[in-house]
Amino acid sequence: MKENYDFLVLGGGGTGLAAAMYGARLGLKTLVLGTTNGSELPVGGVITTTDSVENYPGFTSISGMELAKKLEEHARAYDLVTIKTEAAIKIEKKKNSFEVETKNSKYNAKTLLFATGTKWRKLNVPGSDEFERKGVNYCALCDAPLFKDRVVAVVGGSDSAVKDALVISKYAKKVYVIARNEVHAEPINMERIKSDKKAELITKTNVTEIKGDSLVRSIILDKPYKGQKELKVDGVFVAIGHIALSELAVSIGVEVNEKGEIKIDHRTSETNIPGVFSAGDVSDKGFKQLITGVGDGCTAAYYAYEYITKNKLI
Amino acid sequence: MAIKVYSTPSCPWCAKTKEFLKENKVEFEDIDVSSDVNAAREMVKKSGQMGVPVIDANGKIIVGFNEPEIKKAIAA
Repeated sequence: MKENYDFLVLGGGGTGLAAAMYGARLGLKTLVLGTTNGSELPVGGVITTTDSVENYPGFTSISGMELAKKLEEHARAYDLVTIKTEAAIKIEKKKNSFEVETKNSKYNAKTLLFATGTKWRKLNVPGSDEFERKGVNYCALCDAPLFKDRVVAVVGGSDSAVKDALVISKYAKKVYVIARNEVHAEPINMERIKSDKKAELITKTNVTEIKGDSLVRSIILDKPYKGQKELKVDGVFVAIGHIALSELAVSIGVEVNEKGEIKIDHRTSETNIPGVFSAGDVSDKGFKQLITGVGDGCTAAYYAYEYITKNKLI
Repeated sequence: MAIKVYSTPSCPWCAKTKEFLKENKVEFEDIDVSSDVNAAREMVKKSGQMGVPVIDANGKIIVGFNEPEIKKAIAA
């Protein structure tokens, strides 16, 4: 038998958990499907891979894992919230509801929230697949300790890349940050990386190949750095952005932009399909932080509630 | 059944793996490779991997939180 819900949240990151908490406050029977097809992360989402969160109100500094745990506990405190570690694999639009299928179950929901987040963009160069987890890694917070006293390259020039380099620098003896253009990090992180004696920034340079034997041994650059195109490294951490996990939304006719991000009404978080909402990293909002995703998730919960009451679906 | 989990304290999938084993009442040895260089080397040697978590279930090496594989290994 199918379980029925008022509000079904796809994705159990900070955004989805906050939306579920708010949905329950509004009396919505809420289900969170905490694993997203294609996602690399458990319930808690991408914030669990952040070492120290310093931009979430109420916490001057807190580990991402701890904050995610608090968000999950807050959502679970409401009897109306159910969190399952299942991934939706198929969605069908019915007359006044949506049927969501996972590997072993089917659910009916009056409204949907896509808070499916993103997955890491892969570095697509020779050697990057071959050496994945053999020196090519994506989660600095998870795997940086394995590179104690080693030489590591971080590929990417964003704030995330710099934050990864700062985590790695606690363990490695040297860390290169290799950016295809300039390095653009938040000023506070820029200051930290520039004053880090183990870090070297290499700008306007691409990594074209990763070489090794059973593990990574070196990378090839498209232009010489200090006279060398081949840099000896033991690890490569990739931080070149993310890909929106919007395929399921597209399958029911939700509109996305050229980056694959779900287009939403920035006032209500609703998509082009009535009753279908989106928030967080998968949406087309410009500024993406946990704090903004949480806000948009709660907005979505409120307008899902309005949609249900207006259409007398209760 | 001797199970070792090679992990780091800040890895979300490591936490998930340990949570899963605890939920299934499976005893395991938690080895923090961030503070034990020799254990880190042992893990790389056993698995050929430079990433956590790595699970050694009676000699069967499982890389990452692979729930079906872990279930099979603990049922064996």
